[in-house]
Amino acid sequence: MKKTFLMGVAALGLLISTAHAADLKFKPGEDSKFNWASYESFSKAHDLKGQTLTIFGPWRGEDQTLAESVIAYFSAATGANVKYSSSENYEQQIVIDTQAGSAPDVAILPQPGLIADLAAKGYLKPLGADTQKWLLDNYAAGQSWVDLGTYKGGDGTSALYGFPFKADVKSLIWYVPENFEDAGYDVPKTMEDLKALTEKIVADGGTPWCIGLGSGGATGWPATDWVEDLMLHLHRADVYDKWVKNEIPFNDPAVLEAIDEFGWFAKNDKFVDGGAAAVAATDFRDSPKGLFTSPPKCYLHHQASFVPSFFPAGTVVGQDVDFFSTPSYASRDVGTPVLGAGTLVMLGKDTPASRAFIEFLKTPIAHEVWMAQSSFLTPFKGVNLDAYANAPMRKQGEILLNATTFRFDASDMMPGKIGAGAFWTGMVDFVSGRSAADVGANIQKAWDSIK
Amino acid sequence: MQQLFAAIVTMALGVLACAAYFYLSNLLLDRIFPSKNRSGPEASRNLRIAGAIRPWLFLGPALIALGLFLVYPVFGTLWYSLHDRNGTTFVGLENFRWLFQDGEFRQSIFNNFLWLLVVPALSTFFGLIIAAMTDRIAWGGFAKTLIFMPMAISFVGASVIWKFIYDYRGEGSEQIGLLNALVVYFGGEPQAWISLPFWNNFFLMAILIWIQTGFAMVILSAALRGIPEETVEAAVIDGANGFQIFFKIMIPQIWGTIAVVWTTITILVLKVFDIVLAMTNGQWQSQVLANLMFSWMFRGSDNGRGAAIALVIMVLVIPIIYWNIRNARREMGGR
Amino acid sequence: MIASTRSPLMWLVHLTVAALVILWTIPTAGLLISSLRDKDQLASSGWWTALSSSTQSTVFRAPGAEAQVEKDGRFVISGNILQGQGGKISAFGFNSRDPGAFEAGTSTTLPGNETLTVAEDGAFEISSPTAMEGNRGQRIFYTVAVPPRFTLDNYREVLRAEGLAASFINSLTVAIPATIIPILIAAFAAYALAWMPFPGRALLAAVIVGLLVVPLQMSLIPLLKMYNTVGGLLGVPGKGYVGVWLAHTGFGLPLAIYLLRNYMAGLPREIIESARVDGASDFEIFVKIILPLSFPALASFAIFQFLWTWNDLLVAMVFLGTGNDELVLTGRLVNLLGSRGGNWEILTASAFITIIVPLFVFFALQRFLVRGLLAGSVKGG
Repeated sequence: MKKTFLMGVAALGLLISTAHAADLKFKPGEDSKFNWASYESFSKAHDLKGQTLTIFGPWRGEDQTLAESVIAYFSAATGANVKYSSSENYEQQIVIDTQAGSAPDVAILPQPGLIADLAAKGYLKPLGADTQKWLLDNYAAGQSWVDLGTYKGGDGTSALYGFPFKADVKSLIWYVPENFEDAGYDVPKTMEDLKALTEKIVADGGTPWCIGLGSGGATGWPATDWVEDLMLHLHRADVYDKWVKNEIPFNDPAVLEAIDEFGWFAKNDKFVDGGAAAVAATDFRDSPKGLFTSPPKCYLHHQASFVPSFFPAGTVVGQDVDFFSTPSYASRDVGTPVLGAGTLVMLGKDTPASRAFIEFLKTPIAHEVWMAQSSFLTPFKGVNLDAYANAPMRKQGEILLNATTFRFDASDMMPGKIGAGAFWTGMVDFVSGRSAADVGANIQKAWDSIK
Repeated sequence: MQQLFAAIVTMALGVLACAAYFYLSNLLLDRIFPSKNRSGPEASRNLRIAGAIRPWLFLGPALIALGLFLVYPVFGTLWYSLHDRNGTTFVGLENFRWLFQDGEFRQSIFNNFLWLLVVPALSTFFGLIIAAMTDRIAWGGFAKTLIFMPMAISFVGASVIWKFIYDYRGEGSEQIGLLNALVVYFGGEPQAWISLPFWNNFFLMAILIWIQTGFAMVILSAALRGIPEETVEAAVIDGANGFQIFFKIMIPQIWGTIAVVWTTITILVLKVFDIVLAMTNGQWQSQVLANLMFSWMFRGSDNGRGAAIALVIMVLVIPIIYWNIRNARREMGGR
Repeated sequence: MIASTRSPLMWLVHLTVAALVILWTIPTAGLLISSLRDKDQLASSGWWTALSSSTQSTVFRAPGAEAQVEKDGRFVISGNILQGQGGKISAFGFNSRDPGAFEAGTSTTLPGNETLTVAEDGAFEISSPTAMEGNRGQRIFYTVAVPPRFTLDNYREVLRAEGLAASFINSLTVAIPATIIPILIAAFAAYALAWMPFPGRALLAAVIVGLLVVPLQMSLIPLLKMYNTVGGLLGVPGKGYVGVWLAHTGFGLPLAIYLLRNYMAGLPREIIESARVDGASDFEIFVKIILPLSFPALASFAIFQFLWTWNDLLVAMVFLGTGNDELVLTGRLVNLLGSRGGNWEILTASAFITIIVPLFVFFALQRFLVRGLLAGSVKGG
């Protein structure tokens, strides 16, 4: 009995170790949609045998498997031994690790606000002018991305600390095409059309929107995406930038206009499934499911490109559900702005291996391997768009490439106490009945207290 | 496998080392200050010296561990609380001044006060009656296991459990939260329980009571079983009924343990944080001190303010310490 | 023991305990049932409805035109909506605005002039006089009464997780020493505080209680810094098992000392004094008398300390690390939730998988929480 147990454990151990020697997902040289030349030349230029690289990132579960499949190519090309790790409380963990002096070689984080803190305390290493130039030349809307990765360091001078890798598009509205056909609705071209459609759906006896802000301790964040997206479509990008830096106060008329615009959708009992009271309480992971019920609980849902993981099992994007990017106001001239988010790669330690990893991220293959699987978009102009796993992903990738302005999720860029605190809470208060002016003033007060 | 083996070896070594420390240090003390087979004055002198040193041998490892892991960080916290967010500039009492004018902090103090009133009392109460009653019935062990279960569920699991209780769906759609389903069944209107200011505190408290009753039950049940049967039997012979025995004979004998359970849960309540973080993150006016501290340290990345709040939490425990000193003195006075 | 077992009071006791047990178990029962349901049902109906058959309205997508076969001059796509899962269809439709327009067993005409028939048992047929086009299949809305359905998929998914066995061993490696070491150290300290007179004893005991309040989060950074320094001096990594054990020991000690001291102080003084008179040393008294008598207290603290270290995520993550080789069980399961924490169905199953070991420990140690260790001795005073 005991012996069989031990053997079982040993067999499990074997299984684990074979699984660790992760085979490369796509065999180098095989499929021509991949840029294998970039892989070969990177491999020739870097030899890191015997070196270890520790990477700490936000990806867990399926995302972790995907990230590791990309990292496997780096290991194979350089011979370096890479250890990727993540944890549920990665924000807390990275703060503790860097302050205590056990920072990972490479840190990957999705919150510019947190990165700014780490950089200001001198825990990160600058990436250098070459990388900055590379981003300018090779990323669509390059300047937007460079600005995103640039922070004040421990010595007070600004430098590029974060290398943007992997993006999400947040300016997306999801709908079920067949429900639109059944009811005779068209995809709106302008924001005015979208509002007219909203009213028409109500007039036809339906409910237009599913909005859910619930997210446990992070409740409120989906509303910040709404407000940011509307802000970007109402005003020019420089107003948005001033808002992010608090150069205009949170209760500036421009900001209040965006909040009230969100209120037009979310604070009307007839416009939202469950009524306005349900908005703050419904979990953001549950709310998209209303699109797929019979009969549909709602027709439209505003959420980032990651949302398909919360659709019912078996839902096919492009067939069962589709999306359009948030339409612009016919009455405002702001170009085609895109709101997004993404992760930035930083150096916790300046070693040959960590430098080489940044170089690796500049190769098309590092992007294409992930593109060919799922949930990865990139603004890198040098990749082959055919590498996208399916048409909807490619369409989102194109939205990113065609953007005249790209702006990162404002709440992620604001100081943590605001972007991951007062702004969330404020939005919850707002949908629960308080006025935009009231909420804006409150958030501004919180911001003043941390200056 | 190798790791498990290494762990077992290290563990055995650790335990052995601990045991050896206590045994050998004790032996050494007896050798240096022998009291047996010595002349009267010398023996009593040696006995006195050894008696003065021995407690510290017994306490030694514990004091070192406590000093390193708890006292040292307290001083670190004190230092941080007098410095700015990065811990670089001395700011005096600025962090505390800021704290006491902050609305969120005052809200937290109020909520913590509510928690302190409700949770230790109810957890201890339920723990006590369950411990006492399960002692008398055949299926008591089974009942205790079920009451104990919430303690064994990791917090991550507990947060989903309570989602299935408190979840709210808009009126008209099917409720997946039990509480709202019941309310709707009896003709009421569904509520978003967690976002009702003031009352949501009590819904969060219910979770902690649900978890901590198991703790109170186990400790009190051990204490109840330590009551000498003779005292109870004597009361039975005197014709006392169940209630009288419980309140007049048993409660007084385990009073010390009740105080211990109460104190422990009170202190735990001061530190309560993951429940609030996971359920509301302090929104809808449900903020508590420990979560506020966490939020300033890791989200606001302001060590100064975080440390100041931590110190406030530590100061709040002083009355409890004082009460315990008095208890301990009284207890030892009889000795 | 007390009164007669048949008295009305006993009925009250039975009823009260039963009521409390039910109240306490309902949330956990909800989790258990939820863990046996499938992902989409979890979010759409209450767990208590899982036990009865329910009426659901949902959608099925028929295969596209490539599945059509020519039969008697008509083009036909056929199949079964229920895909062998059982149930009885009452109504169907093809338009989302009127999903229950037709009774089961009837036929209707689709907008493209095809005929759609759906039978009660789920068999459907789309037929058309001309060849159908397009690879997007027709949606068929239907209302069905389904019997209760349970699945072990959630458990399978959790148990299949890569590295679960290794994490299980990691957790044991953390939890067992982190339970035994503090007990040993605390028992000696508690004895000293309870039975060895020395100046400042009450104050010291109270300060130790006070240390219970030190927030864990405040200690993490200074301690990890210290570990890194010490590790640097010794040439070993700052993170490792010894560090976790010591940290858990430090954090667990105040409660251990507090509980044990309280218990030991309550032991009858006569026993200890008579041993002293017989010439036993403190060490002998501790090992031969106090330790055996304190078993209930030791066991109850062991239960809790084991629970905390087993379910702990933070201390293990900070002092051990989060790499594949270092993750403890809780960490591994939490990571299964995915970056956005969406997979609740995994949580429900993993909560029950992690609970097994602590419950086993509870059962194993519960027998030490027995009566009668002190039988024969009358409490002093």
